[in-house]
Amino acid sequence: MLYYLTKRLGLSVVVICLVVLLLFSLLHLIPGDPATIALGPRATPEAIARYAEKMHLDEPVWRQFLIYIGNAATGDLGLDVFSDRPVTAIILERIGFTLALVAAGMGWAMLLGIPLGCLAAVKPNSWLDRVTGVLSVGTIAVPSFLVSIWALLIFAVHLRWLPAIGAGEPGDLGDQLAHLVLPAFAIGLSWVGYLARMVRASMLEVMGENYIRSARAFGLRPRRVIFGYALRVAILPTITLIGMGFGGMISSTVFAEIIFARPGIGKLIFDAVMARNFPIVQGAVLVATGLYILVVLFSDILIAWFDPRVRESL
Amino acid sequence: MPKDAIQTPGTLLDIRNLSVDFRTPRGRVKALRDVSFPIRKNRIVGIVGESGSGKSTVLWALLGLLAKNAEVMGGEVRFGDRDLLHASETQLRATRGEEISVVFQDPMTSQIPVLTYGRQMRDILYRRPELSSAEKRRMAVEMLGKVGIPDPDKRIDQYPHHFSGGMRQRAGIAMALLTGPQLLLADEPTTALDVTMEAQIIHLLQDLQKELDATVVVVSHNLGLIAELCDDVVVMYAGEVIEAGEVREIFHNAQHPYTRALLECDPARINDVSRKLPVIPGDIPDLTKPRRGCIYAPRCQRALPVCRDQIPPDVARGGMSLARCHLLDGPHRDANWPPPLDVMTVGLGEQSVFKPPRVKGDAPLLEVADLNVQFKTVGPLRAWLKGVGQRHVDAVLDVSLSVSPGETVGLVGESGSGKTTLGRCVLNLVPAQTGSVRFEGREIRNMPESRFKPLRRDMAMMFQDPVGSLSPRKSVRALITEPFQIHGITGVDLDSEAERLADMVRLPKPFLSRYPHELSGGQARRVGVARALALNPKLIIADEPTAGLDVSVQGEILNLMADLQAEHRLGYLIITHNLPVVRHIADRLAIMYLGRIVEEGRTDEVFARPVHPYTKALVEGVPQPDPDRRRVHVSISGEVPSLLNRPKGCDFAGRCPFAQELCRAEKPPHVTMPDGRRHACHFPLG
Repeated sequence: MLYYLTKRLGLSVVVICLVVLLLFSLLHLIPGDPATIALGPRATPEAIARYAEKMHLDEPVWRQFLIYIGNAATGDLGLDVFSDRPVTAIILERIGFTLALVAAGMGWAMLLGIPLGCLAAVKPNSWLDRVTGVLSVGTIAVPSFLVSIWALLIFAVHLRWLPAIGAGEPGDLGDQLAHLVLPAFAIGLSWVGYLARMVRASMLEVMGENYIRSARAFGLRPRRVIFGYALRVAILPTITLIGMGFGGMISSTVFAEIIFARPGIGKLIFDAVMARNFPIVQGAVLVATGLYILVVLFSDILIAWFDPRVRESL
Repeated sequence: MPKDAIQTPGTLLDIRNLSVDFRTPRGRVKALRDVSFPIRKNRIVGIVGESGSGKSTVLWALLGLLAKNAEVMGGEVRFGDRDLLHASETQLRATRGEEISVVFQDPMTSQIPVLTYGRQMRDILYRRPELSSAEKRRMAVEMLGKVGIPDPDKRIDQYPHHFSGGMRQRAGIAMALLTGPQLLLADEPTTALDVTMEAQIIHLLQDLQKELDATVVVVSHNLGLIAELCDDVVVMYAGEVIEAGEVREIFHNAQHPYTRALLECDPARINDVSRKLPVIPGDIPDLTKPRRGCIYAPRCQRALPVCRDQIPPDVARGGMSLARCHLLDGPHRDANWPPPLDVMTVGLGEQSVFKPPRVKGDAPLLEVADLNVQFKTVGPLRAWLKGVGQRHVDAVLDVSLSVSPGETVGLVGESGSGKTTLGRCVLNLVPAQTGSVRFEGREIRNMPESRFKPLRRDMAMMFQDPVGSLSPRKSVRALITEPFQIHGITGVDLDSEAERLADMVRLPKPFLSRYPHELSGGQARRVGVARALALNPKLIIADEPTAGLDVSVQGEILNLMADLQAEHRLGYLIITHNLPVVRHIADRLAIMYLGRIVEEGRTDEVFARPVHPYTKALVEGVPQPDPDRRRVHVSISGEVPSLLNRPKGCDFAGRCPFAQELCRAEKPPHVTMPDGRRHACHFPLG
């Protein structure tokens, strides 16, 4: 286990460095001088030179890269070009909204998708199985930004059941939850389909295994056989899928946050890119990458917890 | 028998006129037709038959756990005052596990890998709310101890993958017996196990049956196991019971021609070590077609015209005995049937045209010397973190072996003995660390593939799984000419080559356009042989050539291989764990244990007078198809140790009944005896 964690964390550092490198190269390929953009077209050459020095823009690119990596390791992601506030603080302010959205989106998708897939697999070709099949394909096929817009139009504009934009009053939990419903619905919907399909497929496979026949031959209750035995094995590939799904979800929050005007990381990145606010873009993407790596690692550990064979091979 | 017949006393379960159909894309398969037999209390009943005989279907029908496409067409299964065939799902569930329990065929796949034995066993006891968790655990631990699992209090918290195959099957038996069922069903309980383990499980079942006064039904294709274990025997063929009786009646005075043929085909029963084995010609009938007359008539050695038209009578012999044949009763009764046991009723298949004398003193085709194959177990970083010193296991250790043209060498060992690794290493599929492999005098060990590829024409492989090793999307014609394409051989007419090869392996021409899933096991095996022979090789390495084949068919394949060898002077290296088979076809035997050859010599000598205690255990480990030759005790206990902790001294010392101080301290060197036999034992047997 120790060996495994060491290896995985080591690999994670390498991945993060590669991401930073990629971001750096991309930024340097974009035309325009960062200092001019930051200070505006009317800045004096002295001001630009001073700014460039402060931001280490006069250093060679590889030194800039090393300085950035070094600072990032100590939690310093630089300063916002416009407000001069630390990027880390800005991201910390916003990240909660995104995490809440992703958790709520994936959460309801899991609560609905996994049991649906299970039931569909237990009675293949039943009406429930067929409805689930059609719904899965349907929800997977519709892009989440379309769902966002429709949900917004129907529930917020026409029916006026739920608030349309923002993240709710700070401190008012009920209001914040009400603001969470529509975006979480929008980003989670296609995952209901994914999960139902995935769980159905692996449940069907597991239900055909010899050990399921054994459990039935020992007279175990169907409920115990399905949830205690079959699902316990069938859930393993689904955990990996969910782990990777979080990454995809962080990117689908960009749409949802723009459409619902939620102040999350996605919207932050979008605004920063539009304004060429490089330190924010870099910092936010880095944090998103780190989150993704952590979630995948966590899902692998969860599989090890469920499956003793995996646990011992670590 | 009238439907409402009162159950005879002493009968625990009575199967009457059971008929089951399977709905398949090919049509309705009439898998069971009018199956009737009683299961008598406190006896071990064996259901024996070849694949497709319906023996497992009977077992699953008793439990109400038939596959989804199965349909019970009629009959009843009386169990006490109930009819299990028509019981509700709830009633059946109450019966399963409590009154009727099961030991499964493959302990590797029939136990859930993610739950501990403690958890699985507690689940089985869920219908006992009056017991606390601690009491349930105590019961489970006690039962694990009873089936011979050492240290059960600790091992109960382990998962199935922590157990070896034999231990898993013991745990499977413990799970089945936990509730104290009246009837225990065992579906091929030893098929997935090694010979030495099989003997232990047979005796365990026997002892437990006596101790618990249980009734046991064993389903198996293994005549030796049935003879050794059972009191009553039911013989099934193509979905019908064709004969039933007490074990001695069946094995010593079989009435039905099929039972006779089956017994005669069992290589374990044949003492004459000729190279030819008897076979039952033909295949099991297509059960989608309506039946006329006797189901066995098309293959029967004594078939009369009436057999094809009239259903034979059930001829009772008293007790539960019965046989279904025209020869036994009615106008066609033959007073001279059945003939005495030593008269063969089935033939040897087609005879080979010529048999060249064995030429001695040829240069060996294959020569392996001091070969070592190591497998890496852990990476360097992990080894450093965990403080592991040894990062390899020796899968093959100092192996020397040779095969001459026209010679058959049997490489025998249990699972984990390294026999398959050795075969793959010879074919340059696994790199070897040290030693040499010479083919026709040329060193080929670890030769780069580009230089080795032309040699592959001369050395062919026959794979273990006959169907699985064939691409399901290619026709037989494409499959047997594939070697020509692989080696880029042009200028041959592939169609005529395909026909030539099909002829050679006696595969009828229409089969050339079939696909692997349309072939029976024996036919798929023939395709494998044809593929191996396509490029006129000199050496054939056959990995378990009879695995998965029925007794009546394996003779055909072995006879075919012998004929081809005689014609083409092929060298065979046959990798197998099946001693009775290898006894009939091999000139020399090499016995492997934990990667080392422990004994090597001429087959007849090795069988007549084993020198190494392990060889002796293997030879004695084969259950004999004769109820009068049951073994009283098991000659060898324990299991093959893991390669990860190879014993310091002799690898076999831990299980050897003759082991002494020296054996535990020092590895015995290979010694060549005056008669040319080699062995690795400090104290060779007289």
